[in-house]
Amino acid sequence: MTALPTPLRISAVVLLLALAGFPFYWMFVTSLTPSSDLFASTPNFLPKWGEAGVYREAFEKIPVATWLLNSLIVAGGTTFLSLAIALFPAYALSRFKFTGKGVIGLSLFATQMLPEAMLVVPLYALFGQLKILNTLTALILANTAFTVPVVVWILKGAIDGVPEEIEEAARIDGCSQAGLVWCIVLPLIAPTLAAAAVIAFFHGWNEYVFAQTLVSSESLRTASVGLAGFVGELSTPIHTVMSIAMIYTVPAIIFYLFVQKYVVSGMTAGGVKG
Amino acid sequence: MSAGDPQGKSLVPRWTPYAFMAPVFFYLLFLDFIPLLNELYLSFTSTSLLTPANHIWVGLDNYRELFRNADFLHSIWITAIYTIACVVFAIGIGLIAALLLDAPFRGRAVARVLVTLPWAAPPVAVALIFTWIYNAQYGVFNYVQKLMGFDAFENWLDTPNRALIAILIATIWQIFPFSSVVILAALQGVPRELRESAAIDGAGPWAIFKAVVWPTILPTVMILALFVTIWSLRRFDLIWLLTQGGPIGATNTLVIDLYRRAFVYRDLGAGASVGMIGLSIALAVTMVHYRLSRRFGAAGA
Repeated sequence: MTALPTPLRISAVVLLLALAGFPFYWMFVTSLTPSSDLFASTPNFLPKWGEAGVYREAFEKIPVATWLLNSLIVAGGTTFLSLAIALFPAYALSRFKFTGKGVIGLSLFATQMLPEAMLVVPLYALFGQLKILNTLTALILANTAFTVPVVVWILKGAIDGVPEEIEEAARIDGCSQAGLVWCIVLPLIAPTLAAAAVIAFFHGWNEYVFAQTLVSSESLRTASVGLAGFVGELSTPIHTVMSIAMIYTVPAIIFYLFVQKYVVSGMTAGGVKG
Repeated sequence: MSAGDPQGKSLVPRWTPYAFMAPVFFYLLFLDFIPLLNELYLSFTSTSLLTPANHIWVGLDNYRELFRNADFLHSIWITAIYTIACVVFAIGIGLIAALLLDAPFRGRAVARVLVTLPWAAPPVAVALIFTWIYNAQYGVFNYVQKLMGFDAFENWLDTPNRALIAILIATIWQIFPFSSVVILAALQGVPRELRESAAIDGAGPWAIFKAVVWPTILPTVMILALFVTIWSLRRFDLIWLLTQGGPIGATNTLVIDLYRRAFVYRDLGAGASVGMIGLSIALAVTMVHYRLSRRFGAAGA
């Protein structure tokens, strides 16, 4: 696109940024617009800073803090479990030849086709038998089922890029195979590990179907379920709803800003290249 | 020297790869495959959500009824439109964004990050803000329509022939950044010398794109298309929260239909059948994709 004249190119980029950013901006402006002004014939396009108290009110009137804490536990647990489960299989898929490798690789990919709405029923039954229904553990386990295949795939891509000679030296020094993965490979793929962690974290933070169906206690609601409860409900003012949506979105965005460098490089190194 | 090579064999015991695979194996078994088999079994039964332990074997009855049901057949059609539109627009817009952000300009690094933000936004928050944007009386979408001279006072989410477009706008807004990040990464692999020598030979931008850029990024675009297809086929949260499949079935994709049958009509058997049909479609699409990418791989890049 270097071929386009500069002013045209810059306006195209500005338009792109406006399109990507507008819903966020609108969420923010709406959160700061008092109910009386929301129903004006001309929308209010600038934030009214004097209305910022709505954020404090949201915490006072609605259990936002509990929802966020639950989301954090679910997302954190999903991240930790996904990485813990995926590291050694990713190494095996990258370095070893063994019978059944193709089938497992294909199965990992096939899990991406299963809709969450479809797995919810059998998982409900399974977790019922395990007596973990209505716990955050159930959500962590269910979410991990979706993130593990992706994480394995991304980590495998990174391990493919680690030269095997580096491992040879350690092996000759008597390091065990597992120790090798832990001490040599793990530090070398740290950036990709960060990328995989972020993808798992976002999945856990944003997930809705499992959180809605596998948990029924109000005290265990995640932010996605809590917020979804406002859809089509008229008794809560829209600016309060938008302020909670902001409180829920901003940590994800900030977290993403810190780690996006790794996410992008991780995805490039990982499966996406095939 | 790979650990699986003849020379390396003595260093690694034969069971090592299996021991390494164990965690993921158990995970797949208990949380994906046993549930999947359970779902397959349910699809041949009449089972109510209220008494999930009571199964009555009905064979293919659920499937027969689905294929006789016009609403269900319509939902396959809607799923097809939704998926194809997601693939075309998310990748198309993602490609344009990537090309724009690939060229050097001041502030490029910041622009690259900002464009990807929608991808990090929680779908429930996205659903809420788009509901408000589409609001019939107070929504900004409506306001812009009025400014452009169109008849307003219409909520797109409540209008059968527009609801699907409204949902697509929200979905594509959220997923195009992923395409652009991936394509941007692929663009790094385009050989600069080739591009420059083509330019010196007098090739225009379109010719350079066709001859140098596109063949390089095609394998990535193919994989991307597969992922966007699969994600769109199983997309639930955004559609459910924006329209619940309505108005009058206008946005009733297969996954919404599945959820509606299982959790609203409490018919687990029929829901499971819809799920199995959806899964078969995903598998078929993947196989077609595999054939296509092999052909492209041989002839193209």
